[in-house]
Amino acid sequence: MRYLRLYLKYNAQNVKSLMSYRADFLMGFLGFLGNQLLGVAFIGFLFSAIPSLAGWSFDEILFIYGFAQLPRGLDHVLTDNFWILAWRMVAKGEFDRFLLRPLPPLFQLVADRFQPDGFGELVAGVAVLAIAWGRLGLNISFGRLAALAIAVTAGFFIYAGVKLALASLAFWVKNSQGYLFMAYKVGDFSMYPVGVFPKALRFVMSFILPFAFTAYYPAAAILGRESMALGLGGSVLAAAAACLVASLAWQSGLKAYESAGS
Amino acid sequence: MIRVDGLCKTFKAPKRFPGLRGAVKGLFSREYTYTTAVDDVSFRIAEGEVVGYIGANGAGKSTTIKMMTGILTPSAGRVTVAGVVPYENRMLNASRIGVVFGQRTQLWWDLPVSESLSLLRDIYEVKPAEYQERLAFLNGVLELDEFMMSPVRTLSLGQRMRADLAASLIHRPKVLYLDEPTIGLDAIVKERVRGAVKELNRSYGTTIVLTTHDLADIEELCRHIIVIDRGRKVYDGTLPELRAAYGRGRTIRAHIAGFASFDPAALDAALKALDPGASARKEADELVARFDASATGIAKVVQALMAACEIADYTVEETPIEDIVKRIYAEARRDVVAGDSVAGDPAAAAGRI
Repeated sequence: MRYLRLYLKYNAQNVKSLMSYRADFLMGFLGFLGNQLLGVAFIGFLFSAIPSLAGWSFDEILFIYGFAQLPRGLDHVLTDNFWILAWRMVAKGEFDRFLLRPLPPLFQLVADRFQPDGFGELVAGVAVLAIAWGRLGLNISFGRLAALAIAVTAGFFIYAGVKLALASLAFWVKNSQGYLFMAYKVGDFSMYPVGVFPKALRFVMSFILPFAFTAYYPAAAILGRESMALGLGGSVLAAAAACLVASLAWQSGLKAYESAGS
Repeated sequence: MIRVDGLCKTFKAPKRFPGLRGAVKGLFSREYTYTTAVDDVSFRIAEGEVVGYIGANGAGKSTTIKMMTGILTPSAGRVTVAGVVPYENRMLNASRIGVVFGQRTQLWWDLPVSESLSLLRDIYEVKPAEYQERLAFLNGVLELDEFMMSPVRTLSLGQRMRADLAASLIHRPKVLYLDEPTIGLDAIVKERVRGAVKELNRSYGTTIVLTTHDLADIEELCRHIIVIDRGRKVYDGTLPELRAAYGRGRTIRAHIAGFASFDPAALDAALKALDPGASARKEADELVARFDASATGIAKVVQALMAACEIADYTVEETPIEDIVKRIYAEARRDVVAGDSVAGDPAAAAGRI
């Protein structure tokens, strides 16, 4: 409870400081929104050349694509500081201050940054998902909405977990941003049916960097093309595994932290 | 309050080789360079003391402070602060200490100072009445009002330092660590920061550990000083003791009648009879006599001066603390060279990175 209150307090301050960079916020938001719209346009071009992709219709692909933006956008808004950790916090010793306050360092790391650019992905995702939902003629049932909520939450934890695990490598290598970029490339693939990818890549995106569980599997389950056990159960399991690995990496990273300079 | 026993910190880094070829070689090499930043340091700091922790660049000051504050875990040895091991019980320790790094702010860059302080109030769970009282106290000694509403990124270095000090004190820490608090500040702000530190120690009895390059800070604030050089403790005692041990040199500067025609040779000989190391000579428009106060009394030197010439006025100077510290370093290094284990120690051979 105390942490929730403090989290809100931190974020109220974050929003205040964002207000001093309004133009910056608007540019970031529009940038990520535009990025998503280009992604949708790309799918459009793709389907103007071919009638279906490995048995998937345009609207179904759109559905998966829209869904995929939700956990990704949520993660972008909430845990963007993991990128900064990977990039310079360890190398420059900026991480020191988290060790000097009477709060868990991970809490401070998350609470210290709020990235509204991610709303670009969220807005685009909700819009694309709603359009695809309508065009596919799916009815809005409680079950589907609940599945959506669980899957988005699990997907968020997969993103956050993988990001934190890779960002924690910075405690040893000082700058681990390269690994994060690589992981995000795999994340980009997760917006398409895994069936279109070669076996090796399918294995990686299901078991190593389980981004397929942030998008394809749960979205296909909601569409009724994969089982709920795989779509939801798999996502929750993958989320738990990602968080476990992240926690181990983070904890041992804290021990290895060497600070920097004077 | 603070106990440090046999503290060591060794950093391990992959061995590097010069040039681009060397960089590639380094990638595949399994060799490591070990750097000992702090080497078997022990000391005690009592409650309410203001301690100066002195050393040259790279002597290991900041590394020690980082272990005392819980940022770094020692390679060997142990630290306790008010009974708590900082790096094992970081959050409890953090709630009792305040830290200011002169080089790096801990405030939120884009927030006004007032917002940073109120966020800290919530983090440390300071009660509203206490918060108001402390804010009033800090405002009194640091004059925060003039920049209270400005974002930290717009503050001058001096203002930022005052804001950082205030931020580190809002929860009334038992121990305050100041790592080079006056670095880069102008004389007036330096004076204000020193005044605040003194006032804080007097009003609240806060224990203060201070590292600095500016020995005037030490002279004005600290009774207890600890000197380290190349990771080793080379002096631990009070400032008066230090002066007694090293500061025996005195200088008398005199303005005399008939300065232009005065020949100091006879006086120089008279002083050398009192103390073989003494000297008298003319410098600019002054007659300057240097001697060792433990070899001869000041009174005898002054008598000799008065016998030799007619003094208009004179001043007696003690050895500046800079010179004392230089001497401690010189002696410590001579001991190491003349000694002992260090020659075979790969860490010492590798030196500081």
